[in-house]
Amino acid sequence: MVGIGFRRDFAAELLNGDQIRPDFIEFAPENWMNIGGYWKKQLHKAVEKYPVLCHGLSLSIGSPEPLDLDFLRYVKSFLNEYRVQLYSEHLSYSKCDNAHMYDLLPIPFRKDAVAHIAERIMQVQDFLQRPLVMEIVSYYTPVAAEMSEVDFIREIVKASGCQLLLDVNNIYVNAFNHGYNAREFISQLPLDKVAYIHMAGHEQVAPDLIIDTHGQPIIDPVFELFEWTVQRLHPVPVLLERDYNIPQMGELNGELQRLKNICQQHWHKHYETVG
Amino acid sequence: MKLSADTYRIQQDFSRFIRTGRQVPVPGVKPAAMAHYRRLVYNVVCDALETGYPIAFANLPRKKWERMVYKFFSTHACTAYQVWKLPLDFYTCAVENSWDEQYDIPYLYDLLSFEWAEMELYNMEDQAPPAYVPGGDWLSDPIAFNQEYRLLHFKYPVHREVGRRRLLNQVGAYFVLVYRMPDSGDIHFTELSPWLAFVTEQLLAGITLTDILAYAPQLNMVVNNKLQEDTIAFLQHLREKQMVMGFIKQ
Repeated sequence: MVGIGFRRDFAAELLNGDQIRPDFIEFAPENWMNIGGYWKKQLHKAVEKYPVLCHGLSLSIGSPEPLDLDFLRYVKSFLNEYRVQLYSEHLSYSKCDNAHMYDLLPIPFRKDAVAHIAERIMQVQDFLQRPLVMEIVSYYTPVAAEMSEVDFIREIVKASGCQLLLDVNNIYVNAFNHGYNAREFISQLPLDKVAYIHMAGHEQVAPDLIIDTHGQPIIDPVFELFEWTVQRLHPVPVLLERDYNIPQMGELNGELQRLKNICQQHWHKHYETVG
Repeated sequence: MKLSADTYRIQQDFSRFIRTGRQVPVPGVKPAAMAHYRRLVYNVVCDALETGYPIAFANLPRKKWERMVYKFFSTHACTAYQVWKLPLDFYTCAVENSWDEQYDIPYLYDLLSFEWAEMELYNMEDQAPPAYVPGGDWLSDPIAFNQEYRLLHFKYPVHREVGRRRLLNQVGAYFVLVYRMPDSGDIHFTELSPWLAFVTEQLLAGITLTDILAYAPQLNMVVNNKLQEDTIAFLQHLREKQMVMGFIKQ
């Protein structure tokens, strides 16, 4: 299954389905919870037409302060109402001193942070009564790290039992920004825990810095890393993310098709066996 | 909590930099990359406020607007986990800190509340109207209203003026009914006279028009056929606009 992020900018085209036809759609509960009027009607149409996966923005699993249980209650109700098949979030924090910051801030790679986050992931999984799929985020600077990024992730997965969202573009961006080998990094992850893949474009803003913008087409080296990665995974849903600089639907559909072709090429044996 | 005090403090230092732009040394951090975080986050905040308050952004002095936005994000703990609700945090911050006086914009709260009402109504959850029937008597039956509305009261006519001088020269009592069309989800505005604002408020509370007209002399209103006909004509207009849905039969 290859899907696309459901965005208001091209909601009409997705609902029409002539120029672009993903296998599923994904959206952030925060952008649609407690919404009414025109956009609620559009959301209902979309949910009727496509299977839905959700990718949260505001859980802030790495926050120092307690989880927002009121927020989680809304999320739970929303996921149940829309029969959401998978709920993912970010290994980052976006809230501190009880103030939301609307972006994904890097967590210090430290043992105490591992224990803190693992405990919170389990709390969320218990509360939502469903597994949490955690995305390895792109980051632009390490913060007071006392262990490697890959060890940090491995230990969180081991301690919490969560699943992983592997954003291949994020790994490419991080490898570039922090000078490591993306394939080696992926090889060291618990790949049996990967439940979902994201793919997106990025923008290089300095000779030594790439920002994960979701505003550009996916570049060939990221497609190549994706192809290398899928050969090491069981089939999982794959999502194309495009949030800014929305192109013609033909261009987006072309990216979707390229992702589908790669998946079919490497996962077809699995599909034949399962089918 | 399993987080150490040291890690907690580091996360606070990092996030305080994001909010204020005032750099503090954080171990292992690349300052240039940290500045990108600040830029990315601040862009989200600025965009949300410029989208939520397009009239204020376009018409308030730019320096004052920028100082308000900076002050807002650096000192106010944003409670909204949904970005579209960030403008409400801004409005709250403005009122809590008396920005109308501090920035010498006497009509600031009227303008922010007017623009926020549009944003809130456009996005708010659907509100079912009370059970109603299409036919009834305007005078004796309670009226069923569309529940997706705000009845606003302004001291300055921010719904029809943007210039500072003209706003300040027209201090008065203004009433605006803002509501969402049930079919399209579009937002409509109707300016009301003080009398019609009073009538609308009372009808929304379930009082009948007959009882409102009986009370009108206490408001120094001359009750005659014209007042009654004009008031009913106004309600019929609201019905065409889907703000009035029908009649509540008891």
